[in-house]
Amino acid sequence: MTSRPPRSSSIPIPRSASTSNSARSIEALIPIPFVPPPARHIHATSPHSARPIAESRRAGLPDGYRSPTTGNSNVSTSPTRSTSRSFSLASSVPGRNPSRTRYEPRVGRSAVPVPPSTDLELPVQPSTSPSQVRRVSGTSLRASGPQKPIVPLHVVSRTTPVAFPRPSYLDYSSLRQLLQTEAPILPIPTRKVEVSLTSGGRNLDDIEFFSDEDDSSEPSTPPRPRALSVLVPSVSQERILKLPTRWSDQERNPHLSVAPDGRKLSFEGTSLNGDKDAASARTIHPIPPGCGIYYFEVEILGKDQKVHISIGFTGKSVKLSRLPGWEPNSWGYYGDDGSSLCTDKSGSLFGPSYGVGDTIGCGIDFTTYKVFYTKNGTLIGSAFDNVGKSLDLYPTVGLQHSGEAIRANFGQDPFKYDIDYHVQQQYNATWSKIMDTTLERYLLQGHRRSGFSIASITNDNGVKPSLTEEESKRVLKQLVSSYLVHHGYAKTVRALEKQQEALDREAKQPTLPDGADHDIEMNNASSKSNNIGIDIESRTNIVNAVLAGDIDTAIESTRTHYPAVLEVDDHLMLFKLRCRKFVELILETTEIKKEIKSLREREVECHRDLETIHDGWLDEEMNMDIDDDAPGPLHIRPTLDAPSIMSIDPTTVLSANDAGFLEGIASQYESALNTAITYGQALTNDYQSDPRPDVQQRFKKTLGIVAWEDPLEAGGAIAELVSHDARIALAHEINQAILKSQGRPAQPALETVYRHTAACINQLGLLGIGSAAFADMSREFLQQS
Amino acid sequence: MPPKQLIRKEEWEKRLHDVQVTKTDLNRLIMDYLVIEGYKSAAEEFSQETNLEPAVDFESIESRMDIREALQRGDVEDAITRVNDLNPEILDTNPALYFKLQQQKLIEFIRHGRIAEALQFAQDELAPRGEESPEFLSELERTMALLAFESAPNPPSAIAELLSPAQRMKTAGEVNAAILESLSQGKEVKLVGLLKLLCWGENLLEEKVAFPKLNVLDGSFVERG
Repeated sequence: MTSRPPRSSSIPIPRSASTSNSARSIEALIPIPFVPPPARHIHATSPHSARPIAESRRAGLPDGYRSPTTGNSNVSTSPTRSTSRSFSLASSVPGRNPSRTRYEPRVGRSAVPVPPSTDLELPVQPSTSPSQVRRVSGTSLRASGPQKPIVPLHVVSRTTPVAFPRPSYLDYSSLRQLLQTEAPILPIPTRKVEVSLTSGGRNLDDIEFFSDEDDSSEPSTPPRPRALSVLVPSVSQERILKLPTRWSDQERNPHLSVAPDGRKLSFEGTSLNGDKDAASARTIHPIPPGCGIYYFEVEILGKDQKVHISIGFTGKSVKLSRLPGWEPNSWGYYGDDGSSLCTDKSGSLFGPSYGVGDTIGCGIDFTTYKVFYTKNGTLIGSAFDNVGKSLDLYPTVGLQHSGEAIRANFGQDPFKYDIDYHVQQQYNATWSKIMDTTLERYLLQGHRRSGFSIASITNDNGVKPSLTEEESKRVLKQLVSSYLVHHGYAKTVRALEKQQEALDREAKQPTLPDGADHDIEMNNASSKSNNIGIDIESRTNIVNAVLAGDIDTAIESTRTHYPAVLEVDDHLMLFKLRCRKFVELILETTEIKKEIKSLREREVECHRDLETIHDGWLDEEMNMDIDDDAPGPLHIRPTLDAPSIMSIDPTTVLSANDAGFLEGIASQYESALNTAITYGQALTNDYQSDPRPDVQQRFKKTLGIVAWEDPLEAGGAIAELVSHDARIALAHEINQAILKSQGRPAQPALETVYRHTAACINQLGLLGIGSAAFADMSREFLQQS
Repeated sequence: MPPKQLIRKEEWEKRLHDVQVTKTDLNRLIMDYLVIEGYKSAAEEFSQETNLEPAVDFESIESRMDIREALQRGDVEDAITRVNDLNPEILDTNPALYFKLQQQKLIEFIRHGRIAEALQFAQDELAPRGEESPEFLSELERTMALLAFESAPNPPSAIAELLSPAQRMKTAGEVNAAILESLSQGKEVKLVGLLKLLCWGENLLEEKVAFPKLNVLDGSFVERG
């Protein structure tokens, strides 16, 4: 559960490795190249060639407070870390030496918030992500000098701020795809990739039945070729929700220094005295409420046992010269006395005091708008209510005394507290609360009586009218059967109706007094079932005919059953079908040509094989064959789907080898070609002066395929026009057109319900409604248990 | 309060289009409905027409449906036997469910005017359970009240509804859910959950944003300014 990979993991972009949840540490992400070839260095550094430019652009920015000695003091306060920091990827690759100086200026500035545009510029990076060396500190350079030759490559500093996998507890958020840790932009999962992957296993379905499979995810738009849609992201980039992952080097009090990794804060200079004065720092980004729950931990470093530290949240405008909790819009848990403080209530004893060596966890639950704390992996409880409803929250820590230091874990390392379990509990609670919702009658009407908010409606009526159980069952039946009808699952529809009738008879249902005024078609359904059955059948036949390339049957059958479909839009559908017919004819000639070619090759082989055995009498005949222009067995019907040459027994070829047969082949090819040309001429006569530009374009493109020896292999626009996918698209289109001509929606109501619901939930999440983050439709409705 | 954001139909449709869901996903939801509601033959046909494997074997659907039918016929004894055939633990571990079945049996006795049997059964089987929990007791009292109103022309609806087909269906539904749970299947049809989520989501979103509303029956949108 906790390590479910994000959907994006199916996308073959190298960087995906670093987004995998199973990879908790940086080390796990780095392959071990024992002898890195020179080319590798170039590769590793090249994504960064753009970075120094971005850096120099920022060079004019104030360089914060840090002095060069800061780096040293950082090391001394965290000896366990400094060891590992010295082993950095950069320092251990000899070839990187010349580029070091370019990275050196980063020291002390690495915590400057990277402008979003810069993030976007970052190229997608290989899994040996150079971003891991991006903020190599001066310390590591100094320390690494003599050790260089013996440092194993895979040991990388854990303190360099890098893109790290999204903490697994955030996987409970339905917006998890949008939540991003620092640095490189995740490859956005594209839905089409997934569709094409899953449809691989469903090809049978495609062939046997309709196959709007591949387009079912976008039935409301014209079918697009698959190859193009792969590039269409399902989520626009501007909607990415950045997670707070490090302290800001700007949103901090000058008394504090931020370590290059962005996680450690140290109090510099003389201690501040009195309750009021303090030095706080915020994270670079606020917390997106779409997290559902956000959690971070703070380890108290330093020397003095007693610390004057407050950990909590602040809004953007809160003074940084106060501890969190002192000012309005800030909340904090104090280390010296264990009190919790915010301006809404007077300070109260909340939990134990804490000091050096302790790890304090701090979380905000956007489903309840409560702030909770943990100490050394144990939940203390909830300290504040009504937090973050209409305010961007920044994780904030305030320090007061010299020598005090903290180190935050925003998910870079495993948490001490089992936050995954915590979130899971809250997820379940939220979901079961949502599932207590009663179904309201307005669902059937799509609108309410007025434009007022739901609260005012409740006041007007007292109660919102809800659906009875019986009515909701009927709604379901209607949704299911219209879905089945839409996709033409005729047998299922019949079986379902038969069983429902039987059940209804047994239950002897009384008519419900108020069921009548809703247009639920259940009672009519059985009387209609025959018509529906016939309708599905003829629609299915037409669709299947298109899928099989039998356009004539499709046109005839459509003309018989749904004449209006062909005529609508000035016979546009007829035109499209006729174009396809021409394509099919051309493909037929191509197939014959191909068979001829492979037959020849085959015969050459046969010849060689057989020659060794009976070299005398066969010679003559075989030579004749090879020289002939159009050999090939007449009995082989060329079909698009099943090139049959491999199944031909060579002896058949040989025995069929007489002059009459060869003529037959030649004439077969010729007549196929003639048919195609005649058909093409008819098309030209009918459409060359058609004023519609889209008709003209399609018409020209269609005729153009003649120029290709094998249009199926041509690729690009030609392949799009002739491929089996094009058939599928056309079959889908005609299915839609028939449904539309009957006044049915172009996509089943059920699908619209799903999409509409998902859009609502997504919008809620983006608006900061935390509960929506725990309404995870794909988890609840799509994943198989 | 800031003015409500307005999402136009075109924009909304674009978002709908961006939602990740495939036909197979939806087919699974349909299969879930067919299985849980017990449409065995439809589930079989659907499995064939879509190449979709159902999560349970079709036989368990059938025995579940047999139990449901028995209850809808009023043959509680048969239903109890069949539940025990399927999985004896269901009734052992779920006293509330067992009580409801016994209550239904009592109702059926009364329905058929077998008053003596009804009384005997109530005393032997139900009264001891009524002592176990106040909830059982009040249900038992409600059921026994049927006897008092037996010949009255207009009994109170709370009493009369016990004799309605809806009561049988309710019991059948509860047994069905218990069996599904014992098979570690979802006990509620996912599509019901979907509709609930829709209600929840639309209500909440309407407080913040004006957006097109959906008529779930035909999938059409109504846009309000």
